[in-house]
Amino acid sequence: MCGLQTENPLEVQIKLIRKYLKLKIMADNESFHGHPQERNHVYDLFKRTVAHGESHSALMIGPRGSGKTTLINSVLQQISKEVDLSNDALVIRLNGLIHSDDKISLKSITAQMQLENAVGDRVFGTFAENLAFLLSCLQSGADRRCKSMLFILEEFDMFCHVGRTQTLLYNLFDITHSAQAPMCVLGVTNRIDVVELLEKRVKSRFSHRHIFIFPNEDSEGAPHAKYRDRLVNTLCLPRTKTVATPKKKGRSRKSTVTSEDLMEIDQETTSLPDSILSRHTDLQNLDQEFLQDWNAHVTGLAEEQKVLDCLEKLCYYTVNEQIFRNVLFELVSKLSVNKPYIDVSDLSAIIDKTVAPEHRVKLLQSLSILELSLVIAMKHGMEIFDGEPMNFEMVLHRYTKFSNSNSSTQTVPRPVILKAFEHLQELEIIMPVRTTDSIYNTTDTTASRVQKEYKLFTLAIPSDDISEAVKNFKALPTEISHWYNNSVV
Amino acid sequence: MEQLQNKVPCREEQLNDLFNLLGDGDECLPCSIFISGSMATGKTLCVNSVLRCLNYKHVIIDCIECYTPKIIFETILSGLEDEEIEVKCETLMDLVNGLNRLQETRLGYDPIVLVFDRAERLRNLDANIMSAFLKLRELCNLNICCIFVTHLIYENFNFRRGAREPIKLYFSNYNKEELFRIIFLQQKPFIHHLLVSYEVDNEIKGELEKPELFANFLNAFLSVFYRPCRDLIELQHMACVNFIKYCEPIIKNEISATDLTKLWRHISPILKSSLELLYLRISDAKSVKPSPGKENSDTDSTPHNFENMLKEELTSTKTFAQSFELPYYAKFLLIAAYLASYNSPMEDKRLFMKNHGKQRKRLQQIKAKAKISEKLNTQLGPKVFTLHRLLAIFYAILEEKIGLTSNLLAQIATLVELKLIAGSKEIDLDTAKYKCIVGYDFIAAVAQTVGFNVRKYLYDFM
Ligand SMILES: Nc1ncnc2c1ncn2[C@@H]1O[C@H](COP(=O)(O)OP(=O)(O)OP(=O)(O)O)[C@@H](O)[C@H]1O
Ligand SMILES: Nc1ncnc2c1ncn2[C@@H]1O[C@H](COP(=O)(O)OP(=O)(O)OP(=O)(O)O)[C@@H](O)[C@H]1O
Ligand SMILES: [Mg+2]
Ligand SMILES: [Mg+2]
Repeated sequence: MCGLQTENPLEVQIKLIRKYLKLKIMADNESFHGHPQERNHVYDLFKRTVAHGESHSALMIGPRGSGKTTLINSVLQQISKEVDLSNDALVIRLNGLIHSDDKISLKSITAQMQLENAVGDRVFGTFAENLAFLLSCLQSGADRRCKSMLFILEEFDMFCHVGRTQTLLYNLFDITHSAQAPMCVLGVTNRIDVVELLEKRVKSRFSHRHIFIFPNEDSEGAPHAKYRDRLVNTLCLPRTKTVATPKKKGRSRKSTVTSEDLMEIDQETTSLPDSILSRHTDLQNLDQEFLQDWNAHVTGLAEEQKVLDCLEKLCYYTVNEQIFRNVLFELVSKLSVNKPYIDVSDLSAIIDKTVAPEHRVKLLQSLSILELSLVIAMKHGMEIFDGEPMNFEMVLHRYTKFSNSNSSTQTVPRPVILKAFEHLQELEIIMPVRTTDSIYNTTDTTASRVQKEYKLFTLAIPSDDISEAVKNFKALPTEISHWYNNSVV
Repeated sequence: MEQLQNKVPCREEQLNDLFNLLGDGDECLPCSIFISGSMATGKTLCVNSVLRCLNYKHVIIDCIECYTPKIIFETILSGLEDEEIEVKCETLMDLVNGLNRLQETRLGYDPIVLVFDRAERLRNLDANIMSAFLKLRELCNLNICCIFVTHLIYENFNFRRGAREPIKLYFSNYNKEELFRIIFLQQKPFIHHLLVSYEVDNEIKGELEKPELFANFLNAFLSVFYRPCRDLIELQHMACVNFIKYCEPIIKNEISATDLTKLWRHISPILKSSLELLYLRISDAKSVKPSPGKENSDTDSTPHNFENMLKEELTSTKTFAQSFELPYYAKFLLIAAYLASYNSPMEDKRLFMKNHGKQRKRLQQIKAKAKISEKLNTQLGPKVFTLHRLLAIFYAILEEKIGLTSNLLAQIATLVELKLIAGSKEIDLDTAKYKCIVGYDFIAAVAQTVGFNVRKYLYDFM
């Protein structure tokens, strides 16, 4: 797999398919599907700002991975085909994760407006002055009219975080309100209560226009039908592409959109955006016949009951399209010459792994017998004392009781047990109790630091997981499982 | 690839997954991968060797070394540069700008991988940093993938604001057979190690190099060590130390290399006792490299030395305790402090007064109660006591009569200084409060030197 150069045509084709699909799943951030109403709404706002110089503000709210960013990308892409976006308007994108305070935000705004030179070493008294200066710089056109601006603020809740003054938001919303310049401010977030975070002066300037994106709202019929369509849609390759590409290259941008004659055959399958295709010219070498064969394989796959069952399982677990894409990515990455087709058992294995990762159980099963014994001792101890935290000495006491009553267990010296206990702590299977209001510590006044043997811990793992781990532990000595099941020794 | 599978056995599945996900050089990388698994399960090894094999541009960030965001960002940027240059990068925005600049100037869309080793440390930083790295691909215009390597599971990273879900891989721990296979690969270095420390003639050397001998040793070794420990690094170390001891009688022609029962009888007590040294690594310097000069002069004193050393190591707490060489009264003060910490004041009278017959009944009641609750004083940790109480117990356990001198009080300060008891160094007869912070083993060793039986005065052991 380390870049062997063979001329086996099958291998070449499989590699190309793998590459194409990986790009389609991970790199394509502008082909959007579904939510036509919401998309139109955003489109409308942007279009009116750019074309008619109106000012707007709105919030887009939807859970993680529901396609908010993708929707915006796709709208911007569409608009850029219709109007000369780069000349007529300024798109300024900020992300609350990166632009964590107003100073950084302003720096980024300046850079995105390409006004770094104009600002130079100038020092501004206030944020508002600075922003006003930037706007005035933009108003240099013949009619002294400012370009339209689209402000897109991702992770919007981060901009109104506690401990952060909302000066940026205040000033932006104020501009949309007072119509100093045509501007659309669109906040994007996954927090439904985000408006509550706004300061009063900011809130009063916000239009209260909300756009909600809920993953499942527009699916009719069985919930997993949507996943099935997505599976087919994502994994199928556009058949016409090879024919189209050479011609496309010669055409102007606009005409590619209208080249419906070429797309007709495969309306369902979206092709990669041109910007990505142009980067990977070798994708033209995909063989037509092979493609047909592949697409037939994928459509066939979507009919299988087993596949449908898997997808149903997944959609009960999550409707997050991004997780679904991760599943597809793992699936596709398993393709190779020796395995040129998608294996249903792979799909079900990956989905099982995603739905019920059981990493906790696996973690418990990675422990040594001694460590697991300590976990069991602790669990028993906490059962007896109604979930009160325990320290090392108490756990040790229970463990020694057990190992003394069992002649077959070899005795382990205390330092080794202590080390095993610390290992559990490192893996965060047990967690120290932070509050000192427990009955044991009330008398402690001189030393707040407790020796490690007496530090109190609670079990951080649900007992179901422990049961599960004990049940399926390979080569577990019988006396341990016996001890576990017979609770108190 | 084949080669790698041989170098890293028992990790076929994980290596394959990694190769598939990272793909060939021209494929699109996943956005982020999250790798978890217990300690020493080869996570770092697998990720690093896969990346080296694929020859991708990558930066490995050890989150212990890079303990502030600034250091992380600068490590990333300077790691992606070809030559050594100073980069300054304070914020995430600088990082993103820096990455985009690199993309434009040199990197293009070549795959880039950032590995965050020991990623559990990232939780100490601002939570947004990890969220941002989880979706770094979206924030900058590169074919970039972040791999997080940690011994914790994903649920331990609770993102309050949610985060982009990574693809998760799990490295399960090795079982006994797999450990056997992996340690077995170490035969050559172990033998080499052995030959460095001992002079061995060729015939015996041939015997020692037989894989059966090593396999036999490993079986015996794992039968003792597998139960308390599954940490490969620790097991490898202990195996190396013990293999030398295993081969000793063979080198000295005392036991023939084929007499497995005798060898087993020879090694099994050694293994049992060296179990105590697990994780402690005391013997490193001494037993592994006996000085060659001594070796030649008197060969038959070496086993003796070994025994001695072993014993010494086994009683390490004891030797440690005795190494303090406290003055006589200080020892009694320390013992008194221990007793004051682990007995309830209510029982003082009964414990330290000569005639206390009446309380027998009550004692039994209390003990019955304690049995049920199982909350023994010795399990709950030391309690605080006043200076008055300490002195009272001190005089009770000390047979002779001595006066309360400033010298005695100074010794309390010394004990505090030595961190044997906790409390203030200034001595105020009325308000000073202390707590004994040494363990039972330690106090028992100290008591032994003055012929005092601590157990007799501990309420829990009555
Ligand atoms: N309706 C959709 N159409 C096309 N792709 C989608 C859609 N919904 C989600 N996706 C895909 O899921 C992934 C996550 O989507 P995206 O990043 O747009 O979500 P988001 O809502 O912006 O998430 P976050 O709240 O984390 O910012 C992307 O790879 C995207 O292509
Ligand atoms: N399958 C294996 N084959 C050979 N050697 C291995 C294997 N697995 C681990 N090792 C060795 O064990 C040691 C620990 O491995 P590594 O550092 O990769 O573990 P890790 O999972 O990263 O541990 P940690 O969580 O403590 O960082 C290394 O010296 C490595 O060479
Ligand atoms: Mg987003
Ligand atoms: Mg590591």
